[in-house]
Parts: sequence; structure tokens; C-alpha cells
Amino acid sequence: MDIRVPRLAEGVESATVANILVAEGATIERDQVVLELETEKAVGPIPSPGAGKVAKIHVKSGDQVQVGQVLISVTVEGAADQAKKEEPARASVKSSAIAAAQAAAPVRENAAAPGADAHRYESRSGFPPPAAPSVRKIAQELGIDLTRVKGSERGGRIALQDLKAYIAALQEAAAAPAPSRETPPPAAKGVDFSKWGPVEKKRMSALRRTVAQRMVESWTTIPHITQMDEADITNLLALMKKYGPRFEKKGTHLTFTPLAMKAAAAALKKYPIFNSSFDEATGEIIYKRYYHLGVAVDTDAGLIVPVVRDVDQKTIFSLSLELNTLVERTRQRKVSLEELQGGTFSISNQGGIGGGHFTPIVNKPEVAVLGLGRAALKPLVKDKKTETRMMLPLALSYDHRVIDGANAVRFVRELIQALENFSENELKEWRG
Amino acid sequence: MEAIKAEIVVVGAGPGGYVAAFYAADKGKKVVLVDRDKRLGGVCLNAGCIPSKALLHATGMIREAEASQARGISFGAPKIQLDKLRAWKDSVLDKLGQGLSGLSQKRGVQVLQGRGHFEDSQNLRVETSEGQKFVHFEKAIIAVGSRPAMPAAFDLGNPRVMTSTEALELEEIPRNLLVVGGGYIGMELGTVYATLGSSVAMVEALSSTLVGIDSDLVRPVMRFAEKAFKEIRLNTKVVKMATSGKQIKVTLAVDGKQIEESYDRVLVSVGRAPNCKDLGLENTKVTLDDKGFVQVNAQRQTADPNIYAIGDVAGGALLAHKASKEAKIAVEAIAGEASSFDGVVIPAVVFTDPEVAWCGLTEVEAKEKGIKVEVARFPWAASGRALTLDRTDGLTKLIIEPETERLLGVGIVGHGAGELIGEGVLAVQMGATARDIAESVHPHPTLSETLMECAEAFYGTSPHTAPRKKS
Repeated sequence: MDIRVPRLAEGVESATVANILVAEGATIERDQVVLELETEKAVGPIPSPGAGKVAKIHVKSGDQVQVGQVLISVTVEGAADQAKKEEPARASVKSSAIAAAQAAAPVRENAAAPGADAHRYESRSGFPPPAAPSVRKIAQELGIDLTRVKGSERGGRIALQDLKAYIAALQEAAAAPAPSRETPPPAAKGVDFSKWGPVEKKRMSALRRTVAQRMVESWTTIPHITQMDEADITNLLALMKKYGPRFEKKGTHLTFTPLAMKAAAAALKKYPIFNSSFDEATGEIIYKRYYHLGVAVDTDAGLIVPVVRDVDQKTIFSLSLELNTLVERTRQRKVSLEELQGGTFSISNQGGIGGGHFTPIVNKPEVAVLGLGRAALKPLVKDKKTETRMMLPLALSYDHRVIDGANAVRFVRELIQALENFSENELKEWRG
Repeated sequence: MEAIKAEIVVVGAGPGGYVAAFYAADKGKKVVLVDRDKRLGGVCLNAGCIPSKALLHATGMIREAEASQARGISFGAPKIQLDKLRAWKDSVLDKLGQGLSGLSQKRGVQVLQGRGHFEDSQNLRVETSEGQKFVHFEKAIIAVGSRPAMPAAFDLGNPRVMTSTEALELEEIPRNLLVVGGGYIGMELGTVYATLGSSVAMVEALSSTLVGIDSDLVRPVMRFAEKAFKEIRLNTKVVKMATSGKQIKVTLAVDGKQIEESYDRVLVSVGRAPNCKDLGLENTKVTLDDKGFVQVNAQRQTADPNIYAIGDVAGGALLAHKASKEAKIAVEAIAGEASSFDGVVIPAVVFTDPEVAWCGLTEVEAKEKGIKVEVARFPWAASGRALTLDRTDGLTKLIIEPETERLLGVGIVGHGAGELIGEGVLAVQMGATARDIAESVHPHPTLSETLMECAEAFYGTSPHTAPRKKS
């Protein structure tokens, strides 16, 4: 029995071996976690699908691995004879397909894959593409959409051969040089810092490397502008003080972030361009009709941005509940990859730590990000009278390719209005 | 009391439940199987598929012997020993039930006899004869099936008003029997009793029997039923039933008039209802649709992530083999494998005389959905084998997608159609074209040739039908 890299998540091709938790010769139980893979922004445990003895570990910590790749070979005790009998017949078809699918299968299928991508099965009867149940099953396991596979047999029926050809084409497309991604700028190499004093070298974690790669990509491809302003949240803070204890009674903390999320969702609805994405390949702007907000979480390992879905449809109470557990799970690095995807706009609230205005970096493929600092008492001149009010620093960074400065001002004004005139009723809804 | 721990608990041991339990055990899961009956097998084995087919086979012999007279072989009048017939039928059920018990034991599936009741999304209470037992589970599969629907107005508490369950007990051969509902259960059991000598009348509220099945497939069955039954009243409703001595007085409404008739027994076969009550589903997140069936996704997972539902209780076609397929899909989904009910071809068979069987798309459905199809037909009067069997009352047809010539559906009426449809299922599920069927050699002389000839007829090259120009 081989333990392979499972299909990780939509669009995730590879992972880094973070920890190997067993040694060769060790006896393992079914479902025992044998190693951990670090992918994009989460660490995933890999359990053993069966009990047995670790025969060989094919990877070491820090290795880059592809979906489908063998990580650990396990000898199944007692069942060895049976396994031998069964394996060749079943495995020959499957494993060759899986081998071919290494890295290829989970490649974003809408990525340009010449030859493979040209085909789209359309049935006037509305039936799924014709294929034997065995072929259908393999496609299911590899996460391949059969409507994209061109069948070579009578009536367009898809044979195993067709599936293999499709995977090969995907593989080719995946292997083609992906511009900008794989070529990091030449680093300052070879400087021996120890000449000037004692140093300590630490390998960058996979997470840190991912963060670095993403920041470079965002910073170099997106022309950033940051719009700054301040919101008077004196009234909102008073509301929070009033409702805080009621939230405690219902079992959760009331913090500022859910309120900011709710205000942002309202502003996004009014200015949909801020909830869009820019498809550089097609030159299209994609407006999203859902409001999934990423929330930057500071963890020991680095920045992670889990996503809260359908913020516009949730109450402050349910957002608080959800956010508090999500942040906790993110800190413990227990969030799934799916929970890190699908965001339409992000919020980075530094207020808990301190800080004023700053220039957040857009979380690509989103087009805007809101940075919040810590509110402070400031003099405010109103009707020629000076009052001291709690002022919250706001910083909205946006992608100037799709958004203009005037829109940014409007969006920020809308946001300020929403925060300054926050409806108390929103804090009274307990529907969870 | 210590709860029994299970990775998977299966509630209901019919053809959905026991298949799920066995398959999960084969995959190395710790499984508990709960059923209220001592004999496993559910409705299928105890009060459905198996007993009805045993009786249909046994009584079919009577008609076969009758028909034989015209071919020069006579047996004389049949002598029916009802006790012996019933005992033989029951022995079949016992054999199959014992088989299931043995198979559970061999797999280490723990069987609890009693009613299951969900306490929450992880705990099941089972009311056994030895008191309450508790099962703490990781995942549950609900497979509690359905029961014959009995409208309150007909429920007199009189054993002379039967559902299929009682009718299969074969207590007596009533002199006259009213069958309420002309669906497949009414047709099958009406056939059994008519053959045993009852004078059978059938009433159906709609304008035809076997509603939903292509009319050309129903026609031969109707021709048989019109002869075998005393009468078939369409567009007729049963308004009232009342006990009247040793009879049931039935009030019928037809053409705005009401008539009263008396019958020795009444069989109510007006559909089936899901067994969702008293399961404690309100303590879980499971949701029901407006007809009371459990709502599930393509993996057969309910709105409660820990709970799956399969078979009749999950709605769709109420068929044993559909439940068994769903059992496998649910277990695979629980085991983390990719699995889905999408694209699964489910055949259906009505065991009337002659049998009706179909799979995939029907003509009725194609019309409803506006799907353009071509239909190739091969009447059995042109089949040598049908003639030698003296059963030319048959028809084989293929529903074909015009652009690709792919088989979308197969329909058969005729002697042994239930066995023949297997090839149709394979063809449709494999995405075969009419050409594939036409070019596969079928043995002569058999009824299976009708499939090949039908495909050839589509191309206008069947040797046994008049040439047809392919449009």
C-alpha cells in the first residue's frame, strides 16, 4: 500500500513536506497521522488509509511534492498475499492514470491548456458524456471533468485512452514555462555576514516563502494606491460597550472587526468594482455577487488570511461567533485550504496591536484591501466647536488598473458613513 | 450504560441497509446494523419483491398450463393447496433471511433488533426486547424504507382491507377482490389473485393504469388484464369503505355518480410513504422535503453532515436495487472516496404478465423534457423465439440520441423482459450506440436477439422487419 499526496484543494498543485511523524519499520494504525504537508497557508495531516508497517519513506522534510506522488510505502500485515493478488489487476489501470495525473490533474482546468481545453461536451439531451462506469470512476477520483475530455469512440464515448491523452495534455500545459512565477529575482547571494559578528541562519518556512512569493507578485503586478481617512467611531464604541456584555452572555466576544466587515460589505454592495477581480489573460473584470471577506490573522508562523463567507447575509452575532473560532483555528493552523480561498475583499485590522495609517498590500486576485489602525482621541472641529472624538485611521489600498482615485474616495466616504451611523438594530439580532 | 461505539450505524436492514452495512464492514469499518424485525432484508425480502415474485412464478404455472391446451398438451384443472403454497413462499424468505444473518456474522457486523431513535447527531437509542441500548456513532446511514400508504378513510381496522403486506400473507383466496390503485403493485398482486381464482375488479383514479410508463409498453399488459380481471374502472375514485358483515361495502364515484358495491376483500395499493416518523430526526439537522422524504445530496448525505440516507426514505424511485446502489455511494463517500449518484442508470421492472422493463430515458420523459430522440421498435411477432414460446405479445424499443446514435434508454414488454433489461442497462450505462448493439452478435433463437434486431431496424437493416428508411 502506498500513501500518496491527496488532492489538496482546487488549484493547489504541490505541497511541502512539513513533518514526518513515523520512521521506517514502525508499525502504524489505520488513520494514524504519518506526516504533515504544508500547502499555501495551512498544514494538513496525512493519515494512513490502513494499518501496517512503514516499508519505505520516499520523501524528507522540506521536499516539494506533487499531487499523486508516493510519500510512504506501507506493507500491510497479513493481507500481503491478498494485496498482491488484487493489486495488479486493479492498480494497473488506476495507478498508471494516477501516475500520469501527477501534478497535472489538479491544475486549474480553466488554465490555458492547448488541445486539452478546446473541447467541451454538449449534449442536446442533457445527458452526461458517454463513458463506461469504470472510466467515470477514475475521472471522479482524479477530479477530472469528463465534459472536457474528447471521446474517440463511437458516439463520442470516452475511453481510458482518451482520459490519459487529456491528462498528458494538461501535464504539458502545466510544464510550459509559467511567466513570472518560477523566476524569483536574483537574490543578494554570497554575502558572509558572519564576518562582522555572530549570526544565526534559519530556513524560511514554506508558509513564509508563500507569503513572500505572493507579496512580490502582488506588489510587482498591481499598481497600488492607498487612500487614507479617519472615521469618528465614538458612537460605535459606545454601542459596543452597551452590547458587549450581552454578547458575552450569549457566549462570544464582541470585537470591532465584525462591525468593520459588515460596514465594508455594505460599501462593496454599493461600489461593486471593489468586489471584483481582474483577469489579466482575458482583460475581463469579474464582478462577484457574493461578499466573502478575508481577515488577516497574525500567527506565530506568519500572516494567514482566512475567509468568512456571505458576510452580507450574517448577523453581527453570528459573524462574531464564526470569526472568533476561525481566528483561533487559524492561530492553531487548523484551517482547511478551502477556508483560505474565495475571498472577494480583505480587512487587516492592526488596531489590537496599535498603529496608525499604513499601506496594506492588495491580496491578489482581489482588487482592494482595507487597513484599520487603532482609534485614538483627537480634537474634531464641528460647527466651529472643538470636540474630542475617537478617530479610527482607515487605509484603503486598491488596484489602480481597475479602480480610479475618485471611486476610492467615494468608497471610503461610504465606509465612514456606515461606521459613524451604525444601526443599533444590527447588534440586536441573535439569529445565528 | 456503556454506549456501543460504531464508526457507522445503519438503521434499517433492507436492500439499502444491509448492503451498506456489509460494504462498510468489507472496507474495515466497525458497523452496527439496526432493524426492528428479527429477519433482516426489509420490505424487499419480507413483504415485497421476493414474496410477490415467488407467488407470481408459482401462479404463472396455472396460466401456462391453460395456454398449453391450445398446443395439444392438457393437465386438467389445477388443484391449489394454499397452505403448501404459503409454506413454500415462506421457506424462500427464511432461506434468504438466514443467509443475511450468516453474512452479517461472518463480517462482524453487530446486529441490534429494535427501533432506532436518534438522540442527536452522534447517538442512537435502540429499543430492544432487552431494554434500551445506545449506539455512539461517527456516521449514520438511514435506510428505514417506506410502507404502503393507507388513507385514513380506508383504514377500518378490518383485516379484509389489505395492503400489499397482508395480501402477500395469502390468508385465503377471496371470492371477489377489489384492487384500489392501478400501479405496479396493484397490477402484480391483482394478477396473483386473479390467477388463483378470485374475481378481481380494479379501480384507478387516473385515466390509465401503470401511469408514467410508455403506452406502447403498457398495452400488452392491459390486454392481459382486461381478460384476467373482471373489470378495470378508470377515472374512478373510492369515496368510502365500511364493514358490512363479512364483506366490505365500497362507495365508488364515477362520472359524478356514486355506486355501492360489496367485496370479500379489498387491496389498497395507492402508493408508498416514507418511514420518517418516530426516528428522532427532529434531534438532528436532517431535513425532509414536502412529501416527507429525507433530503440528500449526490453523495446521499443529508443536511446533517454525520447522517446519510438511502433507499425509499430518500425518495426518487422506490426500488430495492436503487437503494443498494445508494448504499455503496454513501459508504464510499463516508470512506472519503469520490462517489456520486449522478449519471447512475436505474432500471425498473413490473412483473406483470407480460413483464414490462425499462431503463434510462423513456419516451414519456423525453416528451416531458423536450428531448429530441429517435425511437426504434421491434415487435416480437417478428421474433422466432417469441413464436416458439407462444408469446408474441412483446415489444423491444430503443430510445436513441439522433446526432450521436447513443442509446439513452431501452424499453421492453414481453415474457422475461425483466431479465432482458440487464443488457439495456449495460448498454446505456456504457454509453453504447445503436451501432454497438447492432454489431454485437446475439444467440439464436433467443429473445435477446430482439435488442440487436431493434438496433438494426434503426438503420433499416433488420432482416426480420420490413425495410425502413433512416430519416
